[in-house]
Amino acid sequence: MNTLNLANLGFAWLPLLPLIAVAVGAAIILLVGVRLEDEDSAGLGILALGVLLVSFVCTLFTIGVNAEAFGGALLTDDYTAFFEIVIQAAAAISVALSLDYAADNGLAGAEYYSLVLFAVLGMMLMAAAGDLIIVFLGLETMSIAVYALAGFVRREARSSEAALKYFLLGAFSTGFLLYGIALIYGATGTVHLDGIRAAIVARAASQPYLELGVGLMVIGFGFKVAAAPFHAWTPDAYEGAPTPITAFMATGVKLAAFASFVRVFMIYLGPAAAQWSGVLWVLAALTMTVGNVVALVQDNIKRMLAYSAIAHAGYALVGMTAAGSAAAVLYYLVAYAFATLGAFAVVIVLERRATAGLRIADYRGLAQTRPGLAAAMTLFMLSLTGVPPLAGFVGKLYVFAAAVDSGHVPLVVIAVINSAISAYYYIGVIVAMYMQEGTPEIEPSGASPGVLIGVAIAALAVVLIGIAPTPYMNAARDAFAAAAGPPAQATAFAR
Amino acid sequence: MPAGLTLNHFVILSLALFLLGSICVLTRRNAIGILLGIELILNAANINYVAFAFFNPAAHYDGQVFAIFVIMLAAAEAVIGLAIVLAIYNHLRTIDVAANETLKG
Amino acid sequence: MIAVIVFWTLAVITVLSAMITAFSRNIVYSAFALLGSFAGVAGIYLLLGADFLFIIQIFIYIGGILVVTIFAVMLTQGVADMNISNRIVGLIPAALIALLAGAVMLEAILRTPWPHPGTAALNPTTHAIGNAFLGPFLLPFEIASVVLLAALIGAIVISRQAARAEA
Repeated sequence: MNTLNLANLGFAWLPLLPLIAVAVGAAIILLVGVRLEDEDSAGLGILALGVLLVSFVCTLFTIGVNAEAFGGALLTDDYTAFFEIVIQAAAAISVALSLDYAADNGLAGAEYYSLVLFAVLGMMLMAAAGDLIIVFLGLETMSIAVYALAGFVRREARSSEAALKYFLLGAFSTGFLLYGIALIYGATGTVHLDGIRAAIVARAASQPYLELGVGLMVIGFGFKVAAAPFHAWTPDAYEGAPTPITAFMATGVKLAAFASFVRVFMIYLGPAAAQWSGVLWVLAALTMTVGNVVALVQDNIKRMLAYSAIAHAGYALVGMTAAGSAAAVLYYLVAYAFATLGAFAVVIVLERRATAGLRIADYRGLAQTRPGLAAAMTLFMLSLTGVPPLAGFVGKLYVFAAAVDSGHVPLVVIAVINSAISAYYYIGVIVAMYMQEGTPEIEPSGASPGVLIGVAIAALAVVLIGIAPTPYMNAARDAFAAAAGPPAQATAFAR
Repeated sequence: MPAGLTLNHFVILSLALFLLGSICVLTRRNAIGILLGIELILNAANINYVAFAFFNPAAHYDGQVFAIFVIMLAAAEAVIGLAIVLAIYNHLRTIDVAANETLKG
Repeated sequence: MIAVIVFWTLAVITVLSAMITAFSRNIVYSAFALLGSFAGVAGIYLLLGADFLFIIQIFIYIGGILVVTIFAVMLTQGVADMNISNRIVGLIPAALIALLAGAVMLEAILRTPWPHPGTAALNPTTHAIGNAFLGPFLLPFEIASVVLLAALIGAIVISRQAARAEA
């Protein structure tokens, strides 16, 4: 091959458009931002929202197009589209939460929003990845942008320390992931997911290398989704990062990590499920239990939500142990993401500089002073607990039912006990808001339109997805079916 | 070519580097020290990529290309990691300076 | 035979340097010892016919990453013991964990039969790698540029803010 022939590469514009939109948008924001003072950054936030909207529209065009590009490196199926849309929504709400927060807390403008968009690009790549190189590069694009975002608060050493901890453990886990990918490459001779599956099915893979590689990849992904015992970074990083970024980390990063985790393991390493589903079983049980038990003793709301995020990764892992429940995992993640985004949005309203307003005690009496906000927070807490008819309940129902169907009854028992434990700390927040006296002093600046819109959208989503779950569950089912469908014929490309 | 050398020579060397890197990460208190351990792990992974590519002629250059991406990643991570470390260092000094100012005031 | 001697020489250099990096109490020694590991690994690449990677390893790892790291070590001498983690594992438990994991992995490696006879031909790889970057690996190649851009922006933001905070 002497000339660059795009057709030979399986080059296609359509699957790339949502990615290109985000990348170009990030560059435009940087260029525009050069001329602005940091304090005028709200306009850039609106621009970022516009970029996400364009990317969303581009994604809409890819729905139903089950194709691949670059010789299978990029998959444009409904699975990709599903996660792209959820990631775009999570990012858009995070940006909306940032609009005033960023200005109030002296976060530089253009770099902030462009890094958010770079992270979104990485997340979308992880969802779309058809080979392990793209998984790895998408993960890195996302992680490096989020490392920087976590350390964005200029004044606080806390933020830098959060970034440092997140970075060091993230880089360590990347090392495990890379070592695991290397062993899988050795075992199968390829980094293409299709080829890896083919090698496993044909029993052409070197078994011990494959097992080791899969094990190391579980550790790598386990760090990224914050599964116990790889969760040590989570509470500190979530607490120290700027709150809109915490919301972004708890939802966007987790969604993308699970997008990749589910696709790689449940679909392409599915034929080798015997080797990893037991490990996931243990991880799921441990993650739920550690997350919920430690969350009980937290008095800082950000740390409490961090442990809640760990626990919910555990519930999602329950779904991953059962072959039939992938669609339930997808649905569960969406339900979790909106409730968590909403909860963090409420946190932003009450948060004031220098970590004040972050204790759960600060929520006392909120029902009197801000009844609407208290009601929304109640919704999010109940959805995270899993109270019908909210989204979190339906999600748990789907996941647990699928797990029971696959015979993982003990695991589901553990999960149900954990849900009961979790009710204690979620309802603790509601009790503080409604039953305890207090005078939360709310700075008017905290209740900006962007945040309130974020709260409203999240509340609406939690209710809607809960009371009318069928379309969303069908979308999740279609998405997974599209990804799991007959293996696309390996496109021959020139070497 | 390398008579007497098998894949296992390289994979075991890689394993040794990987373990030493992991020990380094787990025991160091110094952030840069941990970063050094991570570099060892990345190098260990790279030996594997190149060795697997070499001993499996059907695997083409994929392994070598992957190794180049890993080196690129190592550079990017080193840059961002050291920037964070220096930021913390500056913070600590800044805090000291602030303490001095309070004493004066 | 020569290849075997070269391999063992390189392996000893690499592992000894890595041990200094992992166990030395002085972070400066650790950083400088990394030079030996990187150079040893570069030699291993050459032994495996990866001439382009050999050059890249020396240019980027030794010429770039290591130099930057040593700069950072020197710059932060005052706070050599930044306590960044509350769950530091002691040396002995860490070594035990590593030995256990190592034993498991070693056992797995030793019982893996290698099904592919023969080795890749020893040709110059630069041409092929260049073609690969603009061929099957075009997409990763482009993403790599985004990763580097994001790292650049992130590093600038963090260090610029640190500088401002100082001012």
